Amino acid sequence: MLKMHKVRKSFRTDTIETHALRDFNLEVKEGEFIAVTGPSGSGKTTFLNIAGLLEAHSGGQYLLDGDDVSGLNDRQRSRLRNEKIGFIFQGFNLIPDLNLFDNIDVPLRYRGFKASERRRRIDKVLQQVGLAARAKYLPSQLSGGQQQRIAIARALAGEPRFLLADEPTGNLDSLMARQVMELLELVNDWGTTIVMVTHDPDLARRAERNIQIVDGQVADLEYHANPAALSA
Amino acid sequence: MLELRPILSALWQSKTAALLIALQLMLTLTIVSNAALFIHNRQEKIARPTGMAEKDILAVNFSALAKNYEMPAAVDADLALIRSIPSVIEATHSHKIPLSGSGESLSLFLEPNANKGGFSASYFYVGAGVTEALGMELIAGRDFKATDVQVGDHTSRNTLNAVIVTQQFARQLYPDAHAVGKYLYTGNNNQPIKIIGIVARNLGPHLHQAMAGNTVFFPQLMVVDGSASMTYLVRSEPGQLQEVFNQLEGKLRVRDPQRIISLRTLEAYKKRSYRADNTTIEVLATVITLLATIIALGILGLTSFWVSQRRKQIGVRRALGASRRAIARYFLIENLMVAGTGIALGLAAAQLANKVLVMYFNQPALPLPLLLGCALILLVISLGAALSPALRAANISPALATRSV
Repeated sequence: MLKMHKVRKSFRTDTIETHALRDFNLEVKEGEFIAVTGPSGSGKTTFLNIAGLLEAHSGGQYLLDGDDVSGLNDRQRSRLRNEKIGFIFQGFNLIPDLNLFDNIDVPLRYRGFKASERRRRIDKVLQQVGLAARAKYLPSQLSGGQQQRIAIARALAGEPRFLLADEPTGNLDSLMARQVMELLELVNDWGTTIVMVTHDPDLARRAERNIQIVDGQVADLEYHANPAALSA
Repeated sequence: MLELRPILSALWQSKTAALLIALQLMLTLTIVSNAALFIHNRQEKIARPTGMAEKDILAVNFSALAKNYEMPAAVDADLALIRSIPSVIEATHSHKIPLSGSGESLSLFLEPNANKGGFSASYFYVGAGVTEALGMELIAGRDFKATDVQVGDHTSRNTLNAVIVTQQFARQLYPDAHAVGKYLYTGNNNQPIKIIGIVARNLGPHLHQAMAGNTVFFPQLMVVDGSASMTYLVRSEPGQLQEVFNQLEGKLRVRDPQRIISLRTLEAYKKRSYRADNTTIEVLATVITLLATIIALGILGLTSFWVSQRRKQIGVRRALGASRRAIARYFLIENLMVAGTGIALGLAAAQLANKVLVMYFNQPALPLPLLLGCALILLVISLGAALSPALRAANISPALATRSV
């Protein structure tokens, strides 16, 4: 699904060059649920940005679904993001001016679906996250947990094969965090590959595999034989 | 894919700012279209043909210092001298200068001894060859000959016997008949004045009067007791006016040094007469430019504000699959909706304002093509102003979506 080989990412100012990722190697298989942990500034967000095609890498090879994404132009990267990747952000990142229906509709419009198809998908994901009755609400009228469920619905509406979650429970209390986590596990059970960046070791342990990034490199890989047991 | 409904929803959340810009556009279109109409009419008025070759005509004034000046002899000698200059086509004397704003008018009648129902016209007392000297197109009859010209003053009207009129005036006198050979009369007078020629056009001395174009020429050398002033109208070959100007003053001074001579082109008189119109045009054009600049800055400011306010949102949209082009298009469509609303309101308001101007200020009706043209220009200005912030928005990185600020 995702394969990074000796991926590098550096940021350069006039006087300083910072290496956010150095010879970064990782392979994520179809259907996996991976947690990415690491201290602040270790390169987690940079990894997430590169994996999600939000930023280009400086060197190395990144294969997404077997295709090398190096050298794609903005339009191709945008289309690939839209079709294959779903995003869940720590701050939910719902568009405050749009109601829930329209928020979920945003990536579907960029995909070019007809109105009837968009409506079918939106209704379906709203049902899945249990907020079908609030389609016309504005994000500000929802709790944090509900907003994150809408963000997940938005990510799922395009039926992506790959879900990137950036601290998806970081802004939620423990009850809501657990609900969101259960929803992500359900999504993973449907076959969607999930890569989740988190600071929370308890959440990380619920993933199939835990990757720790330190100084821009994969420092440790920890496998959980039965992640479902941990969540029980 | 166009995002009209989501854009409308987003606009609804910032409706006050959007409404203010729309209202500003409405007012701008109302003022600009009516000001443009005003300018258009003034320009049309200035551009209308005078019926004369004013670019090639000099008006030469002199005042003799000597007492008991022998005017007829002086005029004959001066005109002979002027006509001897190689680039001069023709010259004549005139008691007033066309296009100068200074002139006289009278009423002419179709019947003798009448004093009611006359036709008003500006008049000039001129010499032989006036049509050639002014470059007027003689469309019927003939020009004045030297033998037609009498010497006289304002009291000599009852001895006038020939006149050349403009076509405009001839049509008023005889709408259904050929005017050449017909007779006119000055008021309370039975002296017939024969129409011997018709010229295509001559706006006369007063460019701003409704009767401009009702012009007649009488063959008379105007000699007023106690005054020793005269005007010559001299037409040069095209492009040779400066050369004639340079020669004329010196030659006239040499012929008679005891005179004050001044020369000015007919074009200069025309410019002076239209000075107020030109100033009005400049003021209105400045107002239009200022209003367009203000609206452009307003839209630039508002769109820039919206872009900076929605940086995170733009990053999220990019992360969700929006291309740079889609982001730029979003802001341009948003701007188009605001501008379109303002302009639609402006189209109605401009016509309403014009109706008031027509009703109370005697202004012409606003032609639809002019109004639509102004609307289109404002729309282009609006989109142009939004383009830079829209492109800036398009360059926002999708990685902004994962940043916490």
